[in-house]
Amino acid sequence: MSWIWRGLRPILESVLAGLIGLGVGALIMWAWGYRPWPAYVALFKESFGSGYGLASALANATPLILTALTFAAGARAGLFIIGAEGMMYMGAMAAVALSLFQLPSGFHAFVALFCAAAAGILWGFIPAVLRAYRGVHEVISTIMFNWLSHFLSFYLVANVLVDPIRAEKTLSIVKTSRLPLLIRGTDLSLGIVVAAGLALLFYVFFWHTVAGYEVRAAGANPYAARYGGVSPQRTVLLVFALGGAAAGLAGAVEVMGRPPTYAVYSGLTNLSGFGFDGIGVAMIGRIHPLGIIPAAIFYGGLQAGARLMQMEAGVPFEMVRAVQGVIVLALALPELTRIFKVFFRSIQRKGART
Amino acid sequence: MVHQHFALVDTFTALENVALGLGRVNLSSLRKKLEKLVEETGLHVPLDVPVENLAVGERQRVEILKVLARDVEILILDEPTSVLTPVETAELFKFLRNLRDQGKAVIFITHKLKEALAVTDRIVVLRRGKVAGEVKTADTTAGELARLMIGVEIEPGHRPVELALEGEPKRAEAGGPKGEAVLAVKALKVRSDTGELAVRDLSFELYPGEILGIAGVEGNGQTELVEAICGLRRVEAGSVELLGRNVTNHPPTELYRLGLGHIPEDRWKYGVILSFTVAENSILGLQRERGFSAAGFLRAWAVRRHAARLVQEFSIQTAGLSAPVKSLSGGNQQKLIVGRELSKDPKVIIAAQPTRGLDIGAAQFIRDLLLRLREEGRAILLVSADLDEVLALSDRVAFMYEGTFTGVARPTELTAETIGLLMGGVKAGSG
Repeated sequence: MSWIWRGLRPILESVLAGLIGLGVGALIMWAWGYRPWPAYVALFKESFGSGYGLASALANATPLILTALTFAAGARAGLFIIGAEGMMYMGAMAAVALSLFQLPSGFHAFVALFCAAAAGILWGFIPAVLRAYRGVHEVISTIMFNWLSHFLSFYLVANVLVDPIRAEKTLSIVKTSRLPLLIRGTDLSLGIVVAAGLALLFYVFFWHTVAGYEVRAAGANPYAARYGGVSPQRTVLLVFALGGAAAGLAGAVEVMGRPPTYAVYSGLTNLSGFGFDGIGVAMIGRIHPLGIIPAAIFYGGLQAGARLMQMEAGVPFEMVRAVQGVIVLALALPELTRIFKVFFRSIQRKGART
Repeated sequence: MVHQHFALVDTFTALENVALGLGRVNLSSLRKKLEKLVEETGLHVPLDVPVENLAVGERQRVEILKVLARDVEILILDEPTSVLTPVETAELFKFLRNLRDQGKAVIFITHKLKEALAVTDRIVVLRRGKVAGEVKTADTTAGELARLMIGVEIEPGHRPVELALEGEPKRAEAGGPKGEAVLAVKALKVRSDTGELAVRDLSFELYPGEILGIAGVEGNGQTELVEAICGLRRVEAGSVELLGRNVTNHPPTELYRLGLGHIPEDRWKYGVILSFTVAENSILGLQRERGFSAAGFLRAWAVRRHAARLVQEFSIQTAGLSAPVKSLSGGNQQKLIVGRELSKDPKVIIAAQPTRGLDIGAAQFIRDLLLRLREEGRAILLVSADLDEVLALSDRVAFMYEGTFTGVARPTELTAETIGLLMGGVKAGSG
């Protein structure tokens, strides 16, 4: 029946886009005189061929799942939230700050995660209110808040949370507040369970609760949603809060579950980018909470495999990045075109009214 | 051609708006040309003020200047007076006569009889895409135009929609309205999106077991009236009472809990969410009702059961309850909306253009349904651009013109001429 096809179509589209991306990437390597086949073999052998590789793919995927959820939550409500980056920094800062306290092991980590989520929500609050009650566009406000967060975190890392012994990083997360590693000797921590669990919760929220139904209605047709008694303001606040919590957790799991230092480096070098990569991951996952999980693992795998692709196939790292970019772009394209269609239609509608 | 809706760039000046679309043009020579044109025509417009700061009448003059700057011989104006004040209208007419005297041709499209008679030399009446007649303005009357506009098939006894309602006891032929009014609109004022008053001091009452039809040319405030009653547009002044309670500016869900059902005019805007499934659409507005939600969770099986019942009861053709609504035909989408609204068990039903765009079978289904609901003692406000439909279904018909009613009457009391006059803006009693 046609509606089963409709359900399968996004998945098939994504797979096809991925194949096209790999093809174009191969063409690029071939054009510059590298051999694509061994390069790809190395890439996938490293990322998905070994236990260690898979563990690093999953570890890389952990924060990406969470930041992708932020973007997906917004997109489901018709918002274009690109503030995950700033929310994530705040979550990381909160997690580090919590190490100043002494709490029982385990419970400490729980409290730290909770505070990180709260910090992310708080960081999204002002853009959310501006959007809901003053109509300030979330793209503008969340970009500005990303920079505010960026420099605030710079300050905190260098002056407030700084490690007195090693000035290039913050205090390390204390042992009681660390997320336990799932596999010894890898980077894979309990964070992946937190991330996948939250994705599952998002799925249940959006597809099985009344509030989730209303958010999706507001995103799909704001007029009909209002007719159906959905408050547009509440929708915006709710979605920003969900997204803020996810992004805050992303920052937290990245410092609380990443050996060996369990800290944020000055310049935020071990954090920056996850928020924006999350947008790409969300699109590869067709802004569906359950689609995001495999999308993030694939993306994390590409990152993990890059090293071996360079070493074994002799492809320079820049070329590896270019090929990755092509693959990700191809994967994101189907969702990207859909979102931009909706986005520009709404702008045109606003323009036509004045 | 000057369109009913302006096509101006708000942040540009009048001069820049005229220059737009002329290709490569020297602004200073264009300014000279425009100044001369303004002198000749009397269309005084400040050329260097952004259009967004101009009054509506001035904007229209910019539109006309835009056309005249191209040295046209034929000027077409589509409902040019719909946004103008009476003074601005008088000025426009003076200008049009001037233009005529200079040997240019003007085509003036309007639904207002008075204006057609006031400014034209010849009138062609269009009805349903065909020329219904052509007359010299000097030799005709408003009555004749009205007859041409409405056509003869509406004469009493020649109804195109036959209704077997002979001996129907509930038909309010004999007695007046029965019981207490269930919907009372008092001195209602509502603004359109562009900020003009679309509904002006409108008052009416709706009684149980009656269909009150609102006829009239579209764009005379019907849309704004319906949205205001249903809580989707802010009421500027006046009040709406539903079942004796003041519900002015109350949210839509509260209104339907009190007993209001709304079949919206624009199906795809308010009626359904196209990308949602049939099941999901079947509870829009009902999602917080106890039957469908438990502790904040959607009761999926209850939703599906509800949707399945609607599909069966209203014979909705669909590939399944999980099929997206955009895969349904217009008629089936409308049945889904109607079914959903009726499942709220409303005492008052606002049906706006309920059969628009539907095939004959689906349209007849909806019409029969409305009559059945009336017999059940529900009150129905039927807003429709289809005059035959309004006349055939309604117990009373109101004619809406520029935000007010020009008259309210029983369909049987009306002749083609009075209908035409009322629709053309001639108030009952004065024409």
